Amino acid sequence: MDVKLPNLGEGADSGTVVNLLVQVGDSIVRDQPIMELENEKAVASIPSTAEGVVSKIFVAVGDRLSVGQRILSVAGTAGAPVEQASPEKEAPSSTRSRSDSEPAVSGVIQELGDGEGSGLPVAAAPSLRKLASELGIDLRRVRGSERGGRIVLKDVRAYIEGLQHRVFVEKRQTTPTPAAPAAQKSVDFSKWGPVKLQPLTPLRQVISRRMTENWTTIPHVTQYDEADVTALLELRKAHAARYQEKGARLTLTSFAIKALARVLKLHPIFNASLDESGNQIVLKDYIHIGIAVDTEAGLMVPVIRDADRKNLLELSVELEALASKARDRKVSSEDLQGGTFTISNQGGIGGAHFTPIVNKPEVAILGLGRGAIKPVVKGGQIVVKTMLPIAVSYDHRVIDGGTAARFTVDLVKAFEEFAESEVTGI
Amino acid sequence: MEPIKTEIVVVGGGPGGYAAAFYAADKGRKVILVEKEGRLGGVCLNRGCIPSKALLHATHLIDAARESGNRGITFDAPRIDLAKLRGWKESILQKLGQGITFLAQKRGVEVLTGRGYFEDSNSLRVESESGQRFVHFEHAIVATGSKSALPKAFDLGNPRIMTSREALEIEDVPAKLLIVGGGYIGMELGTVYASLGSQVVVIEALDSILAGADPDLARPVMARAKKVFSEVRLKSKVRKMATSGKQIRVESEFEGQTREELYDRVLVAVGRVPNCEDMGLENTKVSRDEKGFITVGAGQQTSDPAILAIGDVAGGVLLAHKAAREARMAINWILGESSDSTGITIPAVVFTDPEVAWCGLTEAEARQRNIKVEVAKFPWAASGRALTFDRTDGLTKMIIDPETERILGIGIVGQGAGELISEAVLAIEMGATAQDIALTVHPHPTLSETLMECAEVFYGHATHALSRKKGE
Repeated sequence: MDVKLPNLGEGADSGTVVNLLVQVGDSIVRDQPIMELENEKAVASIPSTAEGVVSKIFVAVGDRLSVGQRILSVAGTAGAPVEQASPEKEAPSSTRSRSDSEPAVSGVIQELGDGEGSGLPVAAAPSLRKLASELGIDLRRVRGSERGGRIVLKDVRAYIEGLQHRVFVEKRQTTPTPAAPAAQKSVDFSKWGPVKLQPLTPLRQVISRRMTENWTTIPHVTQYDEADVTALLELRKAHAARYQEKGARLTLTSFAIKALARVLKLHPIFNASLDESGNQIVLKDYIHIGIAVDTEAGLMVPVIRDADRKNLLELSVELEALASKARDRKVSSEDLQGGTFTISNQGGIGGAHFTPIVNKPEVAILGLGRGAIKPVVKGGQIVVKTMLPIAVSYDHRVIDGGTAARFTVDLVKAFEEFAESEVTGI
Repeated sequence: MEPIKTEIVVVGGGPGGYAAAFYAADKGRKVILVEKEGRLGGVCLNRGCIPSKALLHATHLIDAARESGNRGITFDAPRIDLAKLRGWKESILQKLGQGITFLAQKRGVEVLTGRGYFEDSNSLRVESESGQRFVHFEHAIVATGSKSALPKAFDLGNPRIMTSREALEIEDVPAKLLIVGGGYIGMELGTVYASLGSQVVVIEALDSILAGADPDLARPVMARAKKVFSEVRLKSKVRKMATSGKQIRVESEFEGQTREELYDRVLVAVGRVPNCEDMGLENTKVSRDEKGFITVGAGQQTSDPAILAIGDVAGGVLLAHKAAREARMAINWILGESSDSTGITIPAVVFTDPEVAWCGLTEAEARQRNIKVEVAKFPWAASGRALTFDRTDGLTKMIIDPETERILGIGIVGQGAGELISEAVLAIEMGATAQDIALTVHPHPTLSETLMECAEVFYGHATHALSRKKGE
């Protein structure tokens, strides 16, 4: 039985093998990680879809794989050969479900699951099968429109158009051609002194492409402010130990998520996306906060789901788990999807105000600097306070300046008036 | 003599080999065809499909004339001139053989008559009566076919113990003929000899004749065989054979008892073995499976990159039309064209009386592979056409995917089943549903209607059959 690269989730259909975790002769079980694949979003470990003894490995570190590609073959389990792996047993049900389940792009592309085909030949005329074989098209992936799921030329044409749409149109929507500058000619820097060459990792390439795209397609404005977090830090100090007992680290970022979730409810436009082709704004009823994590490989943004419905303890626990998963490059591609707003907190490192870049398709991002002890004037008195630098970058196509100013004011207030009950009520 | 240089050499001039050579020539390649016998056409033409069908046709008349008495037309007993029968059969083979030679000449295919022996992966020595020639090739296609297996225990050097090859020569009509093996060869040739007047006994080791065919398709053949043969013994084994004067003493086991009988001739039809000995394959990288067949992959390539194998010698079902298809796949592979064979339907036809033909998925295979199917059957007792020629011992059945209603397999038993099966093959190749066949008008009164009505049975509205309603 073959183990093939499963569907990796939205947008990710290929990746580079960075690590193989099994060898020929190893006994593996279902769901056991068999390799690590670096794709555009993360390094994900790929689970086995079969169990048995690895009889052959078809990939090597550095290979680029796409979904459905064979990774390895397993023979029956060591003790009880053959019977264990029975792909055909599952087959009939999977052929049935093919025609109507699994929404596929443009409705013409069949996503093939694990039990690929029952071994029955595809329903298509011999002339069409020959054509498909010449074009290198796997007809099992083509959805037949005729009686009994029979595939005709028009279905193959629709399939090819669907593929082209995937490759060209959808990619173009994320990489605008006018903005993409022609790659500059390589300069020979070694003329002026010794240099080292470091190839761009796939992750770095993605970051680079995304940043260029976001920066060039979104008209950015950044609103700056400062929040007095003196009281909030007191709260943290007072309760940190209690959180620690429960295995959580109470950080400023957890407070920020909590504060932000509340303010996003008041200003739903900051929790929206712009649907450019549909000329509409998509307002989301859920709040999934992306957290920019600085990892050795580069920036990653894992997402905390339903941040508005979690208490400070839950947020703290999840935040720490996600961040360490990201640093260990164990984060799954699902963990990186579906964010509605991003926080980039540089406070742990230092620095003050900066200009974060909006993380498309979100419309705003919050950048936090390091809280600084400053003399400030409060009620005519000069007092010493810890001031947190706040920067909100937003997509000016969707959000007006006044709206942004009101959002920022409310956000500052949320930091400054953080309710103690939120900290204790866990 | 100078070695001949060629792009492609085909070893074996049977229906796979000559088809490969012709197709390569049609595609503009220089090709040499090596055949060890004087006449092209291989086993199929010389001592297989063609002569057996000729004999079946000729002897069928004997039975037909006899049965005609029931219909008020009576003939005198036939007088059989074996020499003339053989001569007529031989004339057919000659005509076909000449036809193939002519087609080869016109295409510029050079035919070397002699035995091919691989010196290495790129050269073949052809040994003929007039000496030897060397052929340097870029690609070789091995199409040397198969021959009847004759187990050592039966190989007494006695000409009364025959394989199909000798049986087709009909030297005489033995009074008592034993056929070892109830497969298609044994059953077909048994029919010929029984019609000619032999008392035929069939001994089959398995529990049914015609292994591979669904039991309901084999049943009418068995019923007929019980009438025209003296006996068909299933689950029986021949232990020993010995020469006994002008007869063969045969010791066999049946129903727990050992029997000793005398036969005038014995036909051994227990399977076929590939022809790949003494041809230098060990000098190449070609590998073979445990039964001796050459192992091939996509495009019929062997484990030697320069050598391909097609037809019987490459295993699988041993059928001429399979070899002919593989010939094209092999040449396409050499030409770098698409040679995908997935999903190809290879029909099987057994020319017994009645004939059995099937294609695609069989009912047994569906069960074994756990594929959910529905089976629709139309018995020929309901066919007007079958009644007109007094042979209602037929059945048309369809194996249908209940979900998509697609036809996955069709089986037919009955007179002329071999000619009927082509529509079934086309239907399966085209991915037709039962409805497609039901909606196609079939001419009346013909046997082809049984296909249409069988499809209608699936929907519960066949005109000439009372079938259960769908969903009941």
